[in-house]
Amino acid sequence: MATDSSHIPELTPARSASSTLSAETVAIDASLRTPLTVLIGSALVWLLVASVLGLISAWKLHTPAFMDSCEYVTYGRIQPAQSNAFIFGWGFNAAFAVSLWLMARLSRGSLPGSAVLLIGTVFWNVGVTLGVGGIIAGFSTSIEGLELPGFATPLLLVAYALIAAWAVVVFRAGRSYQIYASQWYIFAALFWFPWLYAVAQVMLVFSPVRGTVQSVVQTWFASNLFLLWFASIALAAVYYFLPKLLVKSVSNYYLASLSFWWLAIFGSWAGIARLIGGPIPAWVQTFGAAASFMLVVPLVILGMNFFGTLSGSWSALKDNVTLRFIAFGITAFSLVLIGWVLNAVHGIAAITQFTYVTAAETQLGLYGFFSMVVFGSLYYIVPRVLNTAWASAPLVGVHFAASAVGVIVVVGSLLVGGINQGLQLADAHVAFAEITKASQSYLFAATIGLAILAIGQLAFALNFFWTLGRASADCVRSAKTLLSAQPEAAR
Amino acid sequence: MNRAPTLFLGVFFALAFSFVGLVLTNQLTYGAFTTHVDEDEGKAFPQALPGIAAQGKLVYQDLGCISCHTQQVRRPGFGADTGEGSRGWGERQSVARDYLREERVLLGSQRIGPDLRNLAARKNADGAEFTADWLYRYLYDPALVVKDSNQPRYAFLFKTQQIVGQPSAKALKLSGDHAPAAGYEIVPTARGEALVAYLLSLKDTYAYPETKNVYTPPAPKKAGEKKEGHE
Repeated sequence: MATDSSHIPELTPARSASSTLSAETVAIDASLRTPLTVLIGSALVWLLVASVLGLISAWKLHTPAFMDSCEYVTYGRIQPAQSNAFIFGWGFNAAFAVSLWLMARLSRGSLPGSAVLLIGTVFWNVGVTLGVGGIIAGFSTSIEGLELPGFATPLLLVAYALIAAWAVVVFRAGRSYQIYASQWYIFAALFWFPWLYAVAQVMLVFSPVRGTVQSVVQTWFASNLFLLWFASIALAAVYYFLPKLLVKSVSNYYLASLSFWWLAIFGSWAGIARLIGGPIPAWVQTFGAAASFMLVVPLVILGMNFFGTLSGSWSALKDNVTLRFIAFGITAFSLVLIGWVLNAVHGIAAITQFTYVTAAETQLGLYGFFSMVVFGSLYYIVPRVLNTAWASAPLVGVHFAASAVGVIVVVGSLLVGGINQGLQLADAHVAFAEITKASQSYLFAATIGLAILAIGQLAFALNFFWTLGRASADCVRSAKTLLSAQPEAAR
Repeated sequence: MNRAPTLFLGVFFALAFSFVGLVLTNQLTYGAFTTHVDEDEGKAFPQALPGIAAQGKLVYQDLGCISCHTQQVRRPGFGADTGEGSRGWGERQSVARDYLREERVLLGSQRIGPDLRNLAARKNADGAEFTADWLYRYLYDPALVVKDSNQPRYAFLFKTQQIVGQPSAKALKLSGDHAPAAGYEIVPTARGEALVAYLLSLKDTYAYPETKNVYTPPAPKKAGEKKEGHE
């Protein structure tokens, strides 16, 4: 199993020697070593925690008697605990790691000291632990996407500021005069998230607004958390890795800025279409639907950018694991956007609303797109930051195969099961108990898909900590030199 | 797009556009909605929840009932929530004013279980009105009252206690394997009682001026065709 992977180029830190740029990237990567190790390590721990919680909650859906004597593991608590551990534990830690590294590399700036960043990371993870523990203990706010109790969220915002500020610091410290597409997305995402989150916290948790304005705010937050935060970070990674690994420029790059602004200006209205048919003003639903239809424009542009760049280079996918993950991710994102457009059609929304189709979309967006792109990015970033090759190449293969198959099984079964459920729900002659009975086999298939995903996650975590172990001797040494040398520079 | 300040301004105005358009506009317009004072009845609708039901709502929130149950009835023709030939989940569609008094609005987005918005005005699986006793038994073990229910048991909302003097009026009427030992009874805990009080308060039957336009009477009952949605 411990095959040395040094013969696979992108899994090793090998750089084109003898260039000044190369010396610079070594310094940048070294400056990020400690904080990125901590961020990625915490992300992986949360990923596994979320996986365990996800398997429990999935099992409870088709076998309600499973562990039903204890209120701490009731479905209504385990399911939000899972989604929050996944989003705030895995998603954010990983997004921080990827965006800091991309920002540093693209701006050509090193991180001047990592103490504050590390404190921020610790705060963040303490906040998520408090919050997820709070949900299980019964302090959930019961607001979808914002279940973390009010005693944890202010800490998250403080921690966020301590972490995100460093992306701006490396940008300012950098020597690059170009601002590349990846940087627009990272900049924007880092600025948008605290705005979205602070508004949602104040208007929903700390000083709740009246009536269903709450639902408008909640939907505005939840949909934009995906589009303006997770999707932005992942798109930044795609814009970086695709041309870099294929050694060619992004095709139709001049259109990239149009899709960026389009997503920001109109995309941020689109998610509200989820409330179609709900007790909110009709004009809000109509605007949401219109904005959703307009997502066709960025869909086409991103397709031209990404698939246009990939076309003619498909063979590169065979021997480059980062590209394979990213190609899977952009395919998933295209499907997510198509889903948003379709779900804005009244006739379709009437069927898919409130069914497992929404769960399928969430999985496709957060796992099929965001997580897959992040996995791919980490396969490139980790060996460079740790300055050592991945410990095992077979484990990388296991991770990709399990993730791809797992996503397809989970999303496929929830989608088909959800459409079936929606059609039956819309037919009043089908008794409710029959609908739940008909969903059983689909839910069971989804549980199997989640188990396959978990195998891939285990392979990835094992490989990362193994690689970290091999690099640790070097790492401890360089961390010591960093800590002794950096405080002066940081002041 | 090579100038950081321009980029920053653009990024700011992009989100400001949807923040002002969606969040602020709604907050300033229908966020200022008021209750409807019915002069005939001398009451303002929607009415506030009684104290114990308000406590029960907190139990509903902490157990995460929203993960499986929505609380919104969509208009006739949109799904099969209300109107002719529907599941009869509501006498009318839900409107914004129904939620006016709620500190936390629990619309929900999953119907793994049925909608609960108008539960107390509906008929249960036996075709009778929902009673506290029925809901207690349902929460204790759904199989007691509904065949094939996918709802988990919430037995932790109940406790077994020794009968001292008169048996409690709230004690579950159980028989066979479920029955407690002689001299003991199973009663709901304070949380269980509050939750059931909340569920029995879920009733949107008042017709506001704005619902009169869209109000659709329940489908006329035809023999053999009526199949009511239940738990």
